[in-house]
Order: sequence, then C-alpha cells, then structure tokens
Amino acid sequence: MTLPAGGREGAGPLPAAFERLFRGEYARVVGIAQRVLGDQGEAEDVAQEVFMSFYRAHPADAPYAAPWLHAAAAHAALNALRARGRRSRRETAEAMPSDTLAPDDPAAIAVATETRDEVRTVLARIPERSAALLALRYSGLSYAEIAQALDVRASSVGTLLRRAEDAFRREMR
Amino acid sequence: MNDNEIEKALATGDWGVDTESALARFRLRAERERVVPIVAAPRRRVATGWIRGLAAAAAVVVVAGALALSGAADTVLKIFEPKQVVGVPVTQSDVSYLGQACGGLSPQQCLGAYGTFAWTTPPQPKEVQTLSLAAGAAGFSVQTPSSLPSSVTGQPRYGVVNQSSATYTFSADATRQAAANQSRTIPPLPANIDGARLFITGGPAVVQVWGAPANANPGELANIPTLVVGQAKAPVISSDGVTVAELQSYLLKQPGISPQLAAAIRAIVDPASTLPVPVPAELAISHPVTVQGVQGLFIGDNTGIASAVVWQKGGMIYEVIGSLTEAQALSVANSMR
Repeated sequence: MTLPAGGREGAGPLPAAFERLFRGEYARVVGIAQRVLGDQGEAEDVAQEVFMSFYRAHPADAPYAAPWLHAAAAHAALNALRARGRRSRRETAEAMPSDTLAPDDPAAIAVATETRDEVRTVLARIPERSAALLALRYSGLSYAEIAQALDVRASSVGTLLRRAEDAFRREMR
Repeated sequence: MNDNEIEKALATGDWGVDTESALARFRLRAERERVVPIVAAPRRRVATGWIRGLAAAAAVVVVAGALALSGAADTVLKIFEPKQVVGVPVTQSDVSYLGQACGGLSPQQCLGAYGTFAWTTPPQPKEVQTLSLAAGAAGFSVQTPSSLPSSVTGQPRYGVVNQSSATYTFSADATRQAAANQSRTIPPLPANIDGARLFITGGPAVVQVWGAPANANPGELANIPTLVVGQAKAPVISSDGVTVAELQSYLLKQPGISPQLAAAIRAIVDPASTLPVPVPAELAISHPVTVQGVQGLFIGDNTGIASAVVWQKGGMIYEVIGSLTEAQALSVANSMR
C-alpha cells in the first residue's frame, strides 16, 4: 500500500528520538497521572498508554511532543479515574505513601484515606479542564507549560487556575 | 482550603519511577504488537497542501456516502441525500483489510476493483482572498464562527471547491480481474448489480482555515491548522438500478469486514438519508451532540486534544475540526452565523 506523507517505516528498535523523549518525559507523565489517580501503579499504566498513543500517531521529534504528552496524561488519567469508580478504602490505604502516615495509627490512616477518596471523587466531578489544570499545576508544570499543554494563553493560566481551585474547594467538604 | 491544603490534598508522595524498566516494558509491547513509529516526512508546499487535503476529505465523504446507498429504481433516482450524520466505528482490522485490498492503489484505482470510476467534473480546489469571494464562488451563503477560543488567533484563509460529479459503473469482469490479480477470493458481483451506475455529486464546499500560514515551513507539523470550519452542499447519489438490499448485502459480504463494522452499518435506520462518518475505533471516541438545534456527531481523539463536530442542516454539511476541547468545538459550532 502506498503510504501517505508522515507514514510508517518497518518494525525495528525504538527510534533514538523516541527513547530520548521517553526518558525525558516519563517521570513527569507518571507524576501528572498520579496526581489524578493517587496510585503509582495505575499512573504508570496510564503513562504507558499515553506514550503508546503518541508513538502510534506522531513523530518523536514533533515540536509539540511534550505538551501533547502532558495534556494526554491528565485526560487519560481522568478517564481512568471515572472508569474505575470509587476505590475501596483498603486499596487506597495500601497505595498511600508510607512517609505521610504513621503506620501504627489506624485513625489517622482512616481519615487520610477518606480525604484521598474524596479528592479523587471531586476531581472526577469538576469540569475536565479544571481537573486537568490542577493535575498539571500541582505536578510542577509552569504556567507556560500548562498554556502549551492545554492550548490556552499563558496570561490566562492564572485566572483559569484560580477558577479550578475555587471549583475544587467548593466540592470538597 | 488554601493553596497549600490543595497541594497537600493532591500530594501523592515521592516514590520515584524506574524509567529504564518502563522503557523496557514499552519496547516489549511495541515489539509484541508490532507497532511501528510514525516518522515525519517532508510535505510539499503547505500553502496548497491543506487545500489538497480538503479535496481528499471531500472525496472520503463521497465514498463514505456510497456505503449508505439505498433505494430501488429502474430509472435514475436519487437514492442518497444525507439529512443527518452518524459515527461508524472502523477497527484497525477493517483498515488493515482495506489496505490489503487496495495495496499500492490510489482510492480511485481501489474503486476500480469493483467497476469503473470516472469524474464528470473533477474537484478543483482554489484559494480566495475573502469570505464574500468564497460565498460568491460557492453560490451559497457561508456561515462563519462569531466567537473563537483564545487559542485560535490570526486571520483565516479561505478555500473553495467547485461542485464535482462522478459516475461509477459496477463491473463483474473488473471484480473478477481484481480478485485474480490480488490472489484473493471476493464474492462474485451479483448479475443485477453488474453494469448498474451510480451518479455522485458533491459540493460546492467552502473551508475557513486558521493557523495555516502562507510562508509555513513545509517540514513542520506545528503548521497543522488550529481550526478548520467547512461547509458543503450535501452530497447526492443517484442510481439507475441498484437496490439497497443488493448493494449493502454485497458490501457487507466482503472478507475482512469486521462484525462490528457490519453491525454498525446495518444499524443505520434510514441509510438513504444518513451520512456514515468513519471513526477509528481504537483512536477516537464519538457520540451524538445537539448542534444548532439538530443532532450532530462529536468525534474526539482519545487524548482529548483534537475534536471534530459534524452536522447537517438545511441541505448543508458542516464541520468544525481543531485542537479544541469538546466544549470549545461545540461553542464554535453553535456560534456560526
């Protein structure tokens, strides 16, 4: 079959440009997904899917590669969050980072677990762009990087972020 | 709840990731699924490339329309004129089958596997300088968005495609020959379809494109337009002797057509007035939406980055495509006046 411009080459090892992109962005993509999902294992699964989607459809040296991956991580994680529904408290407690909880304090674990459950519920409930903004910002992206990822003006990010935070606060207890 | 408390609520701890293990996992999957990467290929002049793309898209719509043929007639009768649009999920296996069936062939040559395709009036896209010139060339009033997302900037460029028409004549001989050439088994063309003709008319069409600069660097994908708004007179197909049962049944008997695609095509309640829009099942989602007071179709890629809205109203097919969220795409579509 005649391939169109931007077509595919034969199968083989990963292109060097893609490996550079993967090494440079993987941790950040996982971080964004993890903010949404609160679970590293799930976040890494989402990151694999995000990179695979990119690999199938875009050249690794595309100038939009990083912003694309950041936005896709947030949206894919939000999709996964809605799909999985509410996780059990036990599962979430097991997924908690050990350095934030006293392991011998069941009451503290229960309260923190409940809060984390509610955070995920709220992220799934507020407008998708607001949830994505929060995930991107609180995983460390700059305003400029958020603007590129969500295709908005950098000068608008502050306002949009405040609205997202207001929506988040309203929905939290 | 202040910013610090929000940050704490969203905190997940710093566990660290093993990037090399993740890359090894990715390599294994890419190898197992035989996924090959997209590579950037130089494009010809972008200034006219987007207009060629438009012509190709128009051709796809016309071909897609042919899938929904309906009606029986002994003389020439209008058998397809879309009043609504519907998404038809197309799986990778369908695409793979079609790719194999048309190996090395252009779409026009591929159609030659079942008969003869001939342009009566071929599409001739051209660029014009103003919207009023585009409307004058197309012969209808052109709608344009009254509001745009902040991400869409600059002045649009305008393209016009003339009304195009073509004739397609089914041929049992061509079907047999194509099957023999490809060493494939294709169901023989029923005698009553052999020799039947389709008369296909599409357009005129007008496109408004934002983000396609005239001096674009041909190699840069960043020059893909940020927003494309299209309006075309709905395609019409007439026939001098094909029935819905015969043609649809024959098309769905082709080897390699997935049960899902066959079921989706059979599920179209009124194929004579429904334009099926192919949606890649693995890469995109679609669902019905209300646009301008009528039912349309939203199509979005899995990442939530690209969106399209397609609808039919007043004998026109409209489409809004861009790097937009669903809400933005619908807002652009509903702002068209």
